[in-house]
Amino acid sequence: MLKITHFLKSKKTWFYILISLLLIALPFMVSEYITYVVVLTLFYAMIVSSYDLLLGYAGQLSFCQGAFYGIGAYASALFSIKAGFPVYLSIPLSVVITALVAAGVGYPALRLRGAYFAVTTFFLAHFVYLIFLNEVWLTNGPLGLRGIKPLEALGGIDFSSTTNYYYLVLVCFAASIYILYRTANSNLGKMFISVREDEDLAESFGINTSLYKLVAFVISALVAGIAGGLFAHFFRLLHPSTFTWLTSEMVVIMTLVGGIGTIFGPLIGASVVMFILEFLRFAPELRFVIWAVALIIILIYEPRGLVGLVERIRRVKR
Amino acid sequence: MILEVNGLTKHFGGVRAVDNLNLVINQGEIVGMIGPNGAGKTTTFNLITGILKPDSGTVKFKGENITNLKPFQIARRGIVRTFQIVKYFPNVTVFDHIYIGAIAKNGLRADRKTLEPMVNETLQFLHLKDKKNVLVKSLTIPFKKRVELATSLVLKPKLLLLDELMAGLNPAEIDEYLELLRKINRELGITMIVVEHVMKAVMRLCQRIIVLHFGRKIAEGPPEEVSRNPEVVRVYLGEGAKYA
Repeated sequence: MLKITHFLKSKKTWFYILISLLLIALPFMVSEYITYVVVLTLFYAMIVSSYDLLLGYAGQLSFCQGAFYGIGAYASALFSIKAGFPVYLSIPLSVVITALVAAGVGYPALRLRGAYFAVTTFFLAHFVYLIFLNEVWLTNGPLGLRGIKPLEALGGIDFSSTTNYYYLVLVCFAASIYILYRTANSNLGKMFISVREDEDLAESFGINTSLYKLVAFVISALVAGIAGGLFAHFFRLLHPSTFTWLTSEMVVIMTLVGGIGTIFGPLIGASVVMFILEFLRFAPELRFVIWAVALIIILIYEPRGLVGLVERIRRVKR
Repeated sequence: MILEVNGLTKHFGGVRAVDNLNLVINQGEIVGMIGPNGAGKTTTFNLITGILKPDSGTVKFKGENITNLKPFQIARRGIVRTFQIVKYFPNVTVFDHIYIGAIAKNGLRADRKTLEPMVNETLQFLHLKDKKNVLVKSLTIPFKKRVELATSLVLKPKLLLLDELMAGLNPAEIDEYLELLRKINRELGITMIVVEHVMKAVMRLCQRIIVLHFGRKIAEGPPEEVSRNPEVVRVYLGEGAKYA
C-alpha cells in the first residue's frame, strides 16, 4: 500500500501516465499525416533503443542496425509475397531470419574489437544494401518491391487504416521498450556493462565476454527485425534506398543525440531527429545542413546527449 | 598440490620472457614471487590465467590441464588475479562492481536476495561499506585496488594471484594490507601467489619465495634462506650487498 501511494506521488509516474495518454489519444488530436510520421518514428524508436543495449550497455559500436531493419522488412515482405504466408507468420519468421543473420555475422565479427568491429559492421550494412539493390530476381532491385499485403484484419479490426496500425505499432513499441528496459536493468544488463567497462577485467572475473557481446548484438538485431517487419506491411513498398548505410548512421546519431546507456534517451533522440527533419521539409536542400549544424551544437554543448541536457536543466532549477 | 606448472616457456620475439619454468603451489600457501624488472613475473601470471598462450609447457590446476582454456574458463575454475596496473569498471558504483562479480560467480539466474548479502559481506570484510554508492572512477588508487580485490574475493577463488597489490601504498597501508591478506588466507582458505616489489612485505607475508631472473627460476625457499642465497643477492639486490 505504501508503495502504491509513493508510486502515485512520484512526479515521474505522472509524467509517464501523461505521455502514455498522449500517445493513446494522438490519432484523434492530429492529422493522419502526423500519425503516419509518428508510426515511422516509433519504428526508429524501437531500433534505436535496442541499439542502445548494444552501444550504451555492451559498449559495442556498430553501424548495421539499418541492415537488420532492412532484412526484417524484406524477409517479411518476401515470405508474404513469394510464399503466400499470412503476415502473422511472415513477421515472426523474418525476425528469426534477422536473428540468425546477426548471430552468423556477429560470431566472427565480435572477435574484433572497437574500431575494427565497427568497420566490419559498416561493410555488412553496405553488403546487405547491395543485395537488396542487385538481386533483382529476389528483391526486384531498384524498382522496389511492390504489392506487399497489409496485415490481415483480426477480430474486425482493419489494420490497413493508419490509425489502427498505429495502435498495433504502439503496443509492439511499448512491449519492446519494456523488455529492453528490464533486460538493461537485469543481471544480463550488468554483464553487458562489465564488457563495456573493461573486457579483459570482465574475462578475468570469469565472464564469457564473447557470449554476452553476441547476445547483445542479436537482441538489438532482433528488435530491429521486428520494426522492419512491421514497416514492410505498413509502407507496403520496399526500396533499397530506405536501407542504405545512411539509415544505420542515422540510428547511431539518434542514439548519441538522445544519450547512450539509458534506453529512454535514444527514444527522445529518435523523436527529436525525426520531427526536426519533418519540420525542415519546407527547405529540402538546407534540411540536412541545418540538421548537421544542430547536431554539432548539441554534442559540443552536451556530450551526454539530450538526457544530459534535461538533467542539467533540472539541476539548475534546484 | 593446487597448481603445477611444468616447463612453461614464452618468447616475445627474441626475448625469453619465461624460460622452462617449473612451479608447485600447495593448498593454503602464500607464495611470493620476486625478481628484477623484466624477470617474467607478470608474464607468468598471464600464462597461468590464459591471457597469454605459452609456446610450450603445461599448467595444471587441481590435476586438470588448463593450459589451453580461455581466461574466463580458468577464472571459473577458481584462479582469479589482480592486475599490476589496477583495472576496474570506472562508471559503476562500488556496490555494482562487486555485484557484477557475484553474478559472474552465481550465474544470471541468481536473484538480488541471494547476491546482496554476499556483496555486503565482502564490503564489510574490506571496509568498503561507506564507499558503497561511490563511482569507482572517483576513488583513490588504493581504494580502486581494494575494489578490485573485493570483486576477486566475491568470486570465491581457490587461488588468488596478486600482481603488485602493494605498489604505491604507504607503510601504514602496507601493514593494513599484510593483515588483510593473512586474514584472507586464514579465514577464507585462499591460496595465494604474490608478486611484490615491496621486499619487507614479501618477507613478512610469505612462507615460501620464488625468485625469477630473465624468465628462469634461480632460487626457491623460505624468506630467510632466499635472502641469504648468494645468487639472489647478486642479481636482485646488487653486487656486494651483504644483507637483504
